[in-house]
Amino acid sequence: MDIIVLIKQTVDMDQIRLNENNEVIAEDLPLKTDVLSKNAIETAVQLKEKYGGKVTGIIFGTEKATSSMKEAYAMGVDDGYIIKGYKKSDPIITSKVLSNKIKEIKNDLIILGNQSSDSYSGLLAGLLASELDMNLLSNAIKIDVDGDNVNVTMEAEKEEITMESKLPAIISVAQEINEPRLPNVMKIMAAGKKNINIEETDVKYENDDKILSDKAPENKRKKIIYEDGNGIDEIAKILKVVK
Amino acid sequence: MRCLIFSDDADNLKEIISYFYKKMDIDVFCNSEVLDYGANNVYKYNDGFSDNISEYLIELYNKNKYDYIFISSTNLGRQIAGILSDKLNEKCMPEIFSFENDYKVVTKRFFYGGKSVLTEETDFKIFTVAPGIYEAKKVDKRSNLIDAKLKNSRYKILSKKKKNTGGNDITKAKVIVSIGRGLGSKENIEKVMPLVDALHGEIAGSRPVCLDYKWLSEDKQVGLSGKKVKPDFYIALGISGQIQHLAGIRNAKTIIAINKDKNAPIFEECDYGIVGDLFTVVPKLVDKLKNN
Ligand SMILES: Cc1cc2nc3c(=O)[nH]c(=O)nc-3n(C[C@H](O)[C@H](O)[C@H](O)COP(=O)(O)OP(=O)(O)OC[C@H]3O[C@@H](n4cnc5c(N)ncnc54)[C@H](O)[C@@H]3O)c2cc1C
Repeated sequence: MDIIVLIKQTVDMDQIRLNENNEVIAEDLPLKTDVLSKNAIETAVQLKEKYGGKVTGIIFGTEKATSSMKEAYAMGVDDGYIIKGYKKSDPIITSKVLSNKIKEIKNDLIILGNQSSDSYSGLLAGLLASELDMNLLSNAIKIDVDGDNVNVTMEAEKEEITMESKLPAIISVAQEINEPRLPNVMKIMAAGKKNINIEETDVKYENDDKILSDKAPENKRKKIIYEDGNGIDEIAKILKVVK
Repeated sequence: MRCLIFSDDADNLKEIISYFYKKMDIDVFCNSEVLDYGANNVYKYNDGFSDNISEYLIELYNKNKYDYIFISSTNLGRQIAGILSDKLNEKCMPEIFSFENDYKVVTKRFFYGGKSVLTEETDFKIFTVAPGIYEAKKVDKRSNLIDAKLKNSRYKILSKKKKNTGGNDITKAKVIVSIGRGLGSKENIEKVMPLVDALHGEIAGSRPVCLDYKWLSEDKQVGLSGKKVKPDFYIALGISGQIQHLAGIRNAKTIIAINKDKNAPIFEECDYGIVGDLFTVVPKLVDKLKNN
């Protein structure tokens, strides 16, 4: 089975600092593999281990994406493409760039994370499925392949739904689907020496989204903190209104 | 102005209709009979999938020339938003919690996992709407109900399993006592229940508590990927206050935190905090509440 896994690199959101106007300082933030992309990689590699085949990773990112691709290799991805030219979260552009590449690679399954941790938009799977005319299953917590069919259990808001679909299919995964492996030193060393295919996109961003402000949510909390065993009386008093 | 709203979740749908009621003419495509919230036409389908629902929505959109399409951000909603965005070649602004169109469209959404709020001006036509955008309100106006016949789908459901839910809806609670990993074990829930009871509150929790350890059912998870709550009092016990958790409690009126780590980020985002062991602080607080 030929599997493509889509990997995203995001800024390390824990490192975000604010300037004196409470605005995010977005420059020079360290990048890392997005949480759900790791679940996607783990899913793809587990499927390969179970059903045989090959896993190809694709990152639409910047020249810094090599670290994420090496991590993917260490986890078991066989071959990788980095497409440079990513500038910002713009799902239509990301979908165009990725689908152009996907069309060049033989595949039965495309795996990606359900929502990325920066924008949380979760639009990419639908965009790609429509663009590539593939079957779409999202927020998967279990995937079983059976010949030409794939059975996927998806986590919806109020229920878990198991659906049957034909291959090829595009499946986005939820964080609960697995625990991404931590590769050992040998694997990490070997991954470092593997070739990464690096390309550049000619898809252009439009300037159609004007950011009026990008600020931390207002914090008007009182921040009255008690230490050394104090505060019980005061807080009990505040809570008195409840009764 | 005219808009088309899609939702497969009746509660989200009511919120979205109420948010746009009187701001524009509303048609709705959904699987529930939500007829007294102010929509003109309610197109109701049964058992739809991403393919046949998208197809119907595109037909409606092309026929009725809506200015905007709003889609509730559910699992199915996000699939459909992606498909429509591609098929109509219109960009989609995701996860909005505010929409104004006085002169141009200005929306707000969280970014960087809740660390910042992006206020953006665009001419986009499709939007996914984060849950909890507004309080649902019934109105006198009654909507037309139209039966929507969907085409066959390429998907087939094999089975459905209702998720465990733990009774009351925490988004409606006035007082929430919320537990984090600091509680240590499921058995320790007993030790904080007296506080929940004394305040006639609801219990809720952080993501690890609800999802990873399953000390509480999933519908009790507060945060970015859980419920956004708006109680008068939110009492966080043994919760560190990571950004994704805070995204769920921005609309709480008063936040009280008990945590043994003085440097826990929750103390930057609370109104009142006690630095201390929750297992000593909570019983004392319960005593005080009972004795006064
Ligand atoms: C994409 C994404 C989405 C997410 N969505 C959510 C979400 O919706 N909701 C959510 O909650 N999280 C979410 N998270 C996870 C989030 O980042 C944190 O990991 C999580 O909120 C931490 O939960 P916690 O505070 O219970 O645990 P911890 O961070 O481990 O904090 C435990 C706290 O308990 C304190 N403590 C320990 N013992 C005691 C004691 N005896 N008395 C008092 N205090 C004590 C400790 O000092 C510590 O501060 C998400 C993460 C990602 C990547």
